[in-house]
Amino acid sequence: MRFSLLLILAACGPPSAIAPTANAPLQEIARTQEDTTTKQDLRLVPPEVYIRSYLQLFGGLAPQDVQAKARGSDGGQLFDTWDDYLAALGLPDYKLDLPRASQTNAIMVAAFERLAVALCDRAVERDLKAKPPLTERVVFAFDAPEAIDEAGFATRFDVLHRTFLGYPAALAPGRVKDFHGLYSSIVSHHQTAAKKSRFTPTEAGWAAVCYGLARHPEFHLY
Amino acid sequence: MSRRVLLAPLLLLITSLAVGDTRQVRTLADYRDFRSLSIDLAGRFPTRDDLGTLERPDFDRNAWIDTHLGGPQYAARLTRIYMDLLRLEVSSAVQVTPPATTLRRIQLVGPDKKPIYVYYRRQQRRTREATDGEFCMTSAETGVELTPGQPPKGTAIEIKKEVLDANTVVVRPWWLYRDYVELTPAKRYGAEWTDFDPSYVPSDKLRKEADGSPTIEVRVCREEAQSRDTGSIYVTGRVPPPKGATPPAPRLRPLPLDDGYAKAHKGEPISCRDGLAVSMSVDCGCGIGLQHCMPGDSDGNDPGAFMLPAHSPVGLDASLPLTAQSVSVWYKYWWTQEVEHFLSHLFSDDRDFRELLTAKYTWVNGPLAQYYRSTAPAGCCGRERAFGLIEDKEPLFAQVSVPTSLFAHDAATWLTVADRGPQASGILSMPVFLAKYASRRARAAVVYNAFLCKSFASSDAELLPSTEPNLMIRPGCSSCHATLEPLAAYFSRVEESTSVYLPSAQFPLKNPNCKNQKNGKPAGFCDAFYDPAFTDGAAGTMRGAYASAENAEAGMLGIARAVTSSPDFASCAVSRVTASLIGRPLSSDDDALVRTLTDVFVHASYRMKPLVVAILRSDAYRNVNNRRNEVAP
Repeated sequence: MRFSLLLILAACGPPSAIAPTANAPLQEIARTQEDTTTKQDLRLVPPEVYIRSYLQLFGGLAPQDVQAKARGSDGGQLFDTWDDYLAALGLPDYKLDLPRASQTNAIMVAAFERLAVALCDRAVERDLKAKPPLTERVVFAFDAPEAIDEAGFATRFDVLHRTFLGYPAALAPGRVKDFHGLYSSIVSHHQTAAKKSRFTPTEAGWAAVCYGLARHPEFHLY
Repeated sequence: MSRRVLLAPLLLLITSLAVGDTRQVRTLADYRDFRSLSIDLAGRFPTRDDLGTLERPDFDRNAWIDTHLGGPQYAARLTRIYMDLLRLEVSSAVQVTPPATTLRRIQLVGPDKKPIYVYYRRQQRRTREATDGEFCMTSAETGVELTPGQPPKGTAIEIKKEVLDANTVVVRPWWLYRDYVELTPAKRYGAEWTDFDPSYVPSDKLRKEADGSPTIEVRVCREEAQSRDTGSIYVTGRVPPPKGATPPAPRLRPLPLDDGYAKAHKGEPISCRDGLAVSMSVDCGCGIGLQHCMPGDSDGNDPGAFMLPAHSPVGLDASLPLTAQSVSVWYKYWWTQEVEHFLSHLFSDDRDFRELLTAKYTWVNGPLAQYYRSTAPAGCCGRERAFGLIEDKEPLFAQVSVPTSLFAHDAATWLTVADRGPQASGILSMPVFLAKYASRRARAAVVYNAFLCKSFASSDAELLPSTEPNLMIRPGCSSCHATLEPLAAYFSRVEESTSVYLPSAQFPLKNPNCKNQKNGKPAGFCDAFYDPAFTDGAAGTMRGAYASAENAEAGMLGIARAVTSSPDFASCAVSRVTASLIGRPLSSDDDALVRTLTDVFVHASYRMKPLVVAILRSDAYRNVNNRRNEVAP
């Protein structure tokens, strides 16, 4: 009761007057040169460029043919239709005055993932399963033996790295080792998995490496 | 930068030497710069072969740029900048279905009890009183009631053969026959005619009968099938029915009456390409093989017609799967393609960029030729005839300029038109621009923003109630409209929504016929073209022209010349192209760069290639991703 009374008195009392005071000057610790140059982050690859490159990685086919090949007839449901992906990829819609997307978003990243899986799985079927001559292989332009060490992996990975990211893998330190770990892990899991995959362990390993590169931020940004 | 990144090229060099590789060692920055160049000039990521070119000891960056500068992807890259800016596609809110050139069809039951389609035009005048201005057979004869804008009502009954023969004819139409102009067309789409343009695909419904069999001929109302170029004004002498009188049986709607113009010009010739011909003459039809009309697969307001890709992000030659689209979409699609072709040629041929707004030339294909030949003139003249304009006398695209060699089927054949006529002015007089930006102020504002890089920002003035019609001086409005209204005046002679050009002979800027009458108001027919707010006892003022009579007379070419001669025009173009290629908005830090590039652009006579070369060679482009110093895992 006494406490409540004190609270009421405090609340109804005159406002406390606190005179403003100047802040004490900050103490100089060190001097450095200001960098006023314009900073710029990576740019999103225009969707037109992404689509054209995607068509090229599918063997230079027309969009309708890519759609047909990607969808396939195996019930894999790897690909829907181009119209389902265009807005997600960031294309503008001039009719609706929707501007081009300049940054990635969750739906766009999901679309990149789906398109990458379709591209890589069909490339494994086309290049590794069907085994055409090496000169005709668009993505996996190398032989894919079952037993492979890190050096052998590095040579083949460099082909994929150049195909997707546009520079030698050696210029990305640690990347060969990381991707070799991924490849080995996938191969190992497929060798021991009870459920059969439509890919051999080696094919599944290379497919996973391909997913990793086709979904890599460096593939979508520049 | 990490030590690992610095060591990587060294390791690469050692490895290359060890395996006897003759490739030139490049840095990560070299590869990234090359990838940027490939994306901007080749329109795709570099291939392994492209990287091989980069790694050759004799690789020359500048030579590579020069080689790729004239390619189609270079033109597409620059076209994208201005298409993103102007967004020149027209929304579904705009329908392009003039009654004079739109053939709709209904399904009826033929004398043999089989379903048949019959094509007709809305508002078609006929000598038969029962069907004048309506479908060519009555509801009593067909069992079907037709009301524009509503689905057909009733149950189709078997039409008597003599009724069908009296009111309809069969035609081998243009959309099915390549040789429709011949006396007996024989090259049918998909049958004898196999080398058709892949972009020209009539919808399945246009190619098949109701029972699923292929369409060999179409049945069309007799008047619509006429092929003369000139008809005569039809006058019936009918008197208006008493108020509340029911239409004479079997009609559902009142008989069309003669308007004042028809009475005054009875029997005079009228061009069958005129929009009024369908409702003012009984002897004008769709021409040989129905070539001046667009077929629709239903009686709807915007019926289905042809197959088109919903999008063509990588160009017409690699379009996405086709879907059936309406008559309006068909026109609007080609309108957009016209401006894309125009821009593409402007950039690939490295023409003076000012021609974007001033050029007399354009590019058209078959569908556009048909549009300019038949559908565009049909947009005129309804309200305009009160001023004596019964045909588009000074069209934005002169009829004589339309290439006669193009058939409507020639969707992939593009021909240049050197001079569209005196009113033509770059993209400003193209239908897609005028439909997208349908009002004078919208047109002026987009030109001001897109080509001078200026925008309208309202002041913080208090908005007080005002009766001042002059927005250039009205408080709160004047801060923007003092600039906007004189710019909008340039578009005064292009009618909003229809794009009909209003010639000075029929539409003087100050029209005494539209002066205020004794009741203080101008005559009713004036309102659409003359602004009552700027009308006095002497004359009415053409809408939009009050701000500047001089600009109104100068027309679209006037604004094009004014904008392209502004010192801001070149720097604006430079800023837009530079910002797009380096991928960020420019700031005041970039002023020096813009000044340098503007000098290059102006000294190169406003041609883009020297500007793009200067940008691609600049440090701003090479150091574009300066926040990235490490590669991701």
